[in-house]
Amino acid sequence: MLRIRNLDKVYSDGTVALTDVSFDVPEGEFVAVIGLSGSGKSTLLRCINRLIDPTAGEIWWNDIQLSHVTGEELRRARRRIGMIFQHFNLVDRSSVLTNVLSGRLGYVNSIASVLGRFPKEDVQRAYANLDRVGIREKAENRADELSGGQRQRVGIARALMQEPGLLLADEPVASLDPALAHSIMRHLQLINREDKITVLVSLHFLDLVQQYSTRAIALNEGRLVFDGAPHEIDDDKFLEIYGQEAERIG
Amino acid sequence: MNDNHNDRWKKLRNVLIGVGVVILFAYAIQKTQINLEEPLEPRRQENLQGLIRDLAQPDLLTYNNQTRSTIMSIRMPCPEEIRGSQVSIEDRVAVLTPNCASTTQDPLNLSGEGFASNVDVAVLWYPLGAQTRRTVAEFKTNAQGVFEGTFTMPDIRASEDPQRLEVVELIDREVTGLSNTTIETLEKILETILMALMASTLGTILAVPISFLGARNLMSGVGAPLAAIMAAIIAIPIGGWVGWQITKLLVAFSEPAREQPFWGLVAVLVIAGLIWLVLRVGPPLFGVENPSLGLQVIYWGRILIALLLSILGLALVAQLGIVAGLWLDEHLGFLGFVGNFIFVMSDLLRVFLPALVGFITALVAASYASRYGQEAVLKMADGPARFLTVVLTTIGTTILVFGIIYALNWICIFGLCNQLSQDGANLLLTLAIPSIFIGIIAGLLSLLTKPKRLFPVGMVTYTITRTILNVLRAIEPVIMGFVLVVWVGIGPFAGVMALMLHSIADLGKLFSEQVENIEEGPVEAVTATGASKIQTINFAVVPQIVPHYLAFIFYRWDINVRLSTIIGFVGGGGIGLILFRSTNLTQYRQAAVMVIAIAIVVTLLDTVSSSIRKRII
Repeated sequence: MLRIRNLDKVYSDGTVALTDVSFDVPEGEFVAVIGLSGSGKSTLLRCINRLIDPTAGEIWWNDIQLSHVTGEELRRARRRIGMIFQHFNLVDRSSVLTNVLSGRLGYVNSIASVLGRFPKEDVQRAYANLDRVGIREKAENRADELSGGQRQRVGIARALMQEPGLLLADEPVASLDPALAHSIMRHLQLINREDKITVLVSLHFLDLVQQYSTRAIALNEGRLVFDGAPHEIDDDKFLEIYGQEAERIG
Repeated sequence: MNDNHNDRWKKLRNVLIGVGVVILFAYAIQKTQINLEEPLEPRRQENLQGLIRDLAQPDLLTYNNQTRSTIMSIRMPCPEEIRGSQVSIEDRVAVLTPNCASTTQDPLNLSGEGFASNVDVAVLWYPLGAQTRRTVAEFKTNAQGVFEGTFTMPDIRASEDPQRLEVVELIDREVTGLSNTTIETLEKILETILMALMASTLGTILAVPISFLGARNLMSGVGAPLAAIMAAIIAIPIGGWVGWQITKLLVAFSEPAREQPFWGLVAVLVIAGLIWLVLRVGPPLFGVENPSLGLQVIYWGRILIALLLSILGLALVAQLGIVAGLWLDEHLGFLGFVGNFIFVMSDLLRVFLPALVGFITALVAASYASRYGQEAVLKMADGPARFLTVVLTTIGTTILVFGIIYALNWICIFGLCNQLSQDGANLLLTLAIPSIFIGIIAGLLSLLTKPKRLFPVGMVTYTITRTILNVLRAIEPVIMGFVLVVWVGIGPFAGVMALMLHSIADLGKLFSEQVENIEEGPVEAVTATGASKIQTINFAVVPQIVPHYLAFIFYRWDINVRLSTIIGFVGGGGIGLILFRSTNLTQYRQAAVMVIAIAIVVTLLDTVSSSIRKRII
């Protein structure tokens, strides 16, 4: 269970990104976070794994107070929270295998990993995860030799290496064409159903939201404006979320 | 109305700026002593001509010249009756008209027939009473062996007797080898390149870790509570001292290996086996989740034993290396420098091992102290945390202040060393009292802060690193050379040290800017997996910066070669040393060889480094 209570984030330049956001996510849900660009979706996801420190409020994941852990405890919490990104965030000059193995860094000995030594099981696990996303044969390639869809699959394999209980996906398909977008979304759905991993994904297209998610949360200027089933988003709700000027395209 | 006023004010301002610029340049011309009279003076021009002629004829090779002389004579000054003279030897006929000169302006006409065809002819004058001869004119014969030309005497040496003139044909010239200057230049240019190589290598090794400290994006997020910072400050001298002392003991213990190298070798092998045993036998060292206390004790005990054995092994290797290096130096003949290399490296290892280990243990101690300090303070209730902060701040500040005033006393800033008794125990006591006093004040002041507040240590480190780098960069390597020549003596080592210091500063800044320019995405992604700071740097930062670092290293090598050509001017070794000597002795033909060598090497390296840089990035 992920519980978010009264979350505020004000950046040091005074930008208000989140205001009083509260919601719960039970285990195993597939939650879509929607809203305009700049509505605070990325900030919300990054507050959960503390890539961004919230200004106020609390985030609880099971019995860990994510909003307040530091140091070693924060690292231990992070390693159970996978994340994939819009721009994939792979290390271009490293091999696909190394990129995937880096998902294991929270578990392995610091010195051994810096020397490039990973336990055998982890290397096997990396191949298995690459197999799962269908690009095992690319393991030795440099990450920048892959196409966009393949790169995002490396991102997913890296997140799977963490054996996460929670997967955060920050607009994972925004840089991909529609066909690839569906393929990536299906991978996320599979992970959600087979591994019982809770998924929190920010999305732009409503049809993706309605096709894949079990629940939707909408942000507008940092405030929670909708929390419910995806099919409840009718035209009125849509205008409320995206503003009166908006027009549905997908 | 207002517009009009503005307009007028603008015009006035422009006029004032114009006047200001004129005054500035007028003053600058006076100060820089720009003067067109001097360079146009004939004497100056003659000197310049001589210098440029010398530079144009570098003393590259030695020759064996085959010449033939025709002896003539000249009278100075002219007698009453002015005549010409003709000399004929074998088939050659030379005619000098007139055969005398009273002033340096008197034109003399020399013509010849029957000389060797198409050769250089020099007219040499043997001034009466002088040991040397001077070239007064140079001609070239045509295909028929005929030449004619006019010249003047450069100087008038009056005498009763005729003075000797010699017409020398250069019939043939063969190269017999490289001149001494060339050989010396080759030697020194090699030394220069190697100096640059050493300075760049050492500079790079030290600049890499510094560049991480000087990168804003890596350091901005780093914060720690006051107690953790103070715990680290306390741990540094303790950890350093322990590591240093233990290593010193181990090095002393390894000393007998030099007398009995065979048993030394056996000991090294035994130690290697022991290390393997300690690390491999027993439960695995890595990857155990939440180990019990007993397991942790065993874990740390094994690591400690392995580390101590490694240090002893290194000390033994150093001792054996010294023996082996000396032996090879003696028996390897012209390859003796390899033995010398082994000797120098081993000796460096032996001498610096305690300091190196001390440095590392200091860092390790500091990192553990700050980590556990932080965890302790964050877990404690407010009261005990506050108490711990006060205690640690008092001790930490005392140590810090003591270190600073000890250094100030050593450099003798503020005349400290003149006012204090420099007797060991007394001095320490005198320095300790104000330190403790300031420490207590700092401890009391720490009550004003919240003990759990994170201090931006990262940004403080960043600012300090950048400031030191900027100051170091601003000091020209030649000036560093001055200081270092005093310390380590005249020679290439001083030059290497000076260039190394400047390289650290320069590369440190360039490197940290590269780190600041990396893509943040991968860093974010790796951080999100729960990776530690070191892992994040290794997996997300390093792959992004390596090609840029390599490019900068080559660029810096290129710069270091250029700089090491002049570092010799202050005694820093390399080609600058002999260039300085030859220019001072006005041996411009020798200097020309060195200038050519520098030009070739710099151009070559410039081309190579830019092509490598293009390929890497």
